[in-house]
Amino acid sequence: MVNKRRTYLMIWVIFAVICLFLFLKYASPKVFQILMAKGHPMPTPSTLMMWYMIMGVLAGLVYATTSNQKFVDFLSFLLPDRGPVIKSLLQKVLFVSFPVLVGWFVYSWSLPGAASPVELRIQHPTLPQNYEKLENPFRHEDAETQRLCIEEGKILFQTYCRPCHGSKADGNGPFANAFRLRPINFQDPGTIATVVDNYLFWRIKEGAPGLPSESTPWDSAMPSWKDDLKDDEIWKIIMGEYDTAGVMPRQREKLE
Amino acid sequence: MIKAFKKGLIGFGLLGVCAAGISGIAAVEEAQASHLFRTYKRETPPKPPETPEAIAEGKKIYEKRCWYCHGIEGGGDGPAARTMFPKPRNFTRNEYKVRSTTFGSVPTDEDLFRIITSGIEGTAMPFWYTISEKERWQVLYYLKTFNNQFKESGAAKMVSLGGGIPSSPESIQRGKELFKETKCFECHGEDGRGNGPLTVALQTEWDMPYRARDLTKSWLFKGGNTIEDIYRTVSTGFNETPMGSYLEKLSDEDRWHIAHYVKSISKDMTSDVVIKATLLETEELPTDTSDENWSKAAVIEIPLSGQIIASPRLWTPSVDALRIRALYNEDEIAFLLEWDDSTNRQEDVFRDSVSVQFPTKIPDSLKKPYFAMGDSGGAVNLWVWKAYWGEGFGSVIEAPETEPGEAYELNAKSFNKISRQPPESQNITGTGVYQNGRWSVVIKRPLKTDDAKNDIQFEVGRLIPIAFAVWDGSNSDVGSQKSVSSWYYVNLEKQVPKTIFAYVLVAIIMGASVELWFIARLRRFPPKEEE
Repeated sequence: MVNKRRTYLMIWVIFAVICLFLFLKYASPKVFQILMAKGHPMPTPSTLMMWYMIMGVLAGLVYATTSNQKFVDFLSFLLPDRGPVIKSLLQKVLFVSFPVLVGWFVYSWSLPGAASPVELRIQHPTLPQNYEKLENPFRHEDAETQRLCIEEGKILFQTYCRPCHGSKADGNGPFANAFRLRPINFQDPGTIATVVDNYLFWRIKEGAPGLPSESTPWDSAMPSWKDDLKDDEIWKIIMGEYDTAGVMPRQREKLE
Repeated sequence: MIKAFKKGLIGFGLLGVCAAGISGIAAVEEAQASHLFRTYKRETPPKPPETPEAIAEGKKIYEKRCWYCHGIEGGGDGPAARTMFPKPRNFTRNEYKVRSTTFGSVPTDEDLFRIITSGIEGTAMPFWYTISEKERWQVLYYLKTFNNQFKESGAAKMVSLGGGIPSSPESIQRGKELFKETKCFECHGEDGRGNGPLTVALQTEWDMPYRARDLTKSWLFKGGNTIEDIYRTVSTGFNETPMGSYLEKLSDEDRWHIAHYVKSISKDMTSDVVIKATLLETEELPTDTSDENWSKAAVIEIPLSGQIIASPRLWTPSVDALRIRALYNEDEIAFLLEWDDSTNRQEDVFRDSVSVQFPTKIPDSLKKPYFAMGDSGGAVNLWVWKAYWGEGFGSVIEAPETEPGEAYELNAKSFNKISRQPPESQNITGTGVYQNGRWSVVIKRPLKTDDAKNDIQFEVGRLIPIAFAVWDGSNSDVGSQKSVSSWYYVNLEKQVPKTIFAYVLVAIIMGASVELWFIARLRRFPPKEEE
């Protein structure tokens, strides 16, 4: 043998995996706290942690099999030889810790615990048919009337919608923290900018009770405003809302 | 063989990357949701010159973004102000609170810049770091024109806010003594819950809008909750409020001691989605709110908002958090509900109350009744506890400190379909104690009842939806005007079964045998390099 044998390869791989675990568990919350300028650590979520650990183990195995010699070295750590004391000690530790680790996994999996269920929901269900044909009555007004409508809508928005959706329509109103289903951030290009304005008319008028069950209406705090606001007021709010959020409604495709 | 093994590994690796990417997105959202409250930004960039052009630009920004609350003339009377408490700042008066200048002076430009940038916690003032620094300077130049004092007083008198001593148990102890000696408790209350006698008098007899800060809630500190912020507030005071400046009354060191004490009693909200009910192996669950068994249950604090779903709405709630503990035994379940309330005074129909809401049966899927009083598809079961109401209709009364109050069960399918259960179906008992600015209420019920149609039946180990509401009589809360929460879950914790140790033993033996087999095989056929 001319090549130097890397008899401790297996230990190095295990060491790297442990380092990865320690980084994810203790270092990364601090790193992300600094990177994202938060006032609190950002712990790695458990599902993500599991995936990173699986990937770490796989990466270690991939590395150990990049050449035949490495793979042989990797496995030969487990073979008996008259190596230094440290090697036989590490071998013993490894022999004991594997079954213990298996036992620990089984223990932690079968502990009765109650994690909150994953509550998936569809944010943009299909617009009901009776709302499809509606049109903003102020759409064809002259610019000055439209400006007044926007201004009136903004006043209504700041009065009735602001407590949850925020002064900037960013979903950060003073009540927003209290709702587990957070009020929607209208500045987000994935929200009101992707729908036609009738969609908003439907949402404001019918609120949570009007949602289909795939959109978890039981968790949504969106009120149904049909008893408290007139249709004209709702249209004005929509105009003011788009203006406040700084986005445009999706334009309807011509059907002809 | 090794090659095939390698290919397999790479395939797995790619799969892993995709899956990790997806769960990464979910993880970011999870982390953001857990970030309940914002932090303050301290640094201010150099300011541009205060020219008439800059002021004119500021006016445009003000009339685009600010006037809805602060009013077109800066009077704090914008059209949206009516759904707010605390009210928006009136710029025509010198009622500026967060300043680094002496009491009664106007704030510095940097003070204003910082508030515009970070907003004010516990109020409707949002953070505006979303607009450019230049725009923020311009708009503050404009709002200074509402009040002549900015021009007349010239350079603002700054308070020197340097130095500082580190926190230590001695400093906190000294701060606690000073809190008494300087009579801080007269407004902030002995435990700092904003329930001092002066606050109560101002609020109920004078009808003044002043509320002494609840110093135990770190998320409500208007001037920020870092030690420097608290020290600055103690030093400079809040203009036009009973919170004076202690610059001359206390030495610099003593103000730091007080700040350290205040910091030591202020707590963050420790929230969670699942409330864990702990098994207590006793005959009786505690009915006393101060029973030491409560310390065995985990505490969860959840945020509340005003009820804005159905009219009449509550835009200005005074209770913003509820602390919950739960215990159960073979027969019963008990909840300890605690919330801060600066006064237990109440008037005729406006009574301090709390309610716990469940679906009438544990849902089998994710589908639940509507979180606000149920819906036609699913009824809810409500447990209500109401503080005492005696004689003296129409007058302000004070509830006795310990009292059974009134506890009863309701069923609801919406805000207008509420029915009280008949006397024979009433199964809950409740007692409440008001002490040092905090209500503590215990509500108990058997795990199972005879009325399975209208009452929730508890099962160990299940996730049972639960929601809460609190009424503050002194805030005129009644009926649908209340502070509410979303759906949470309560879980009657399953005990660790004894069989788990058998499983673990089997797993260890199996792990060891696989290991031994692998090593034996490896030793019999030692790996050789393929040439």
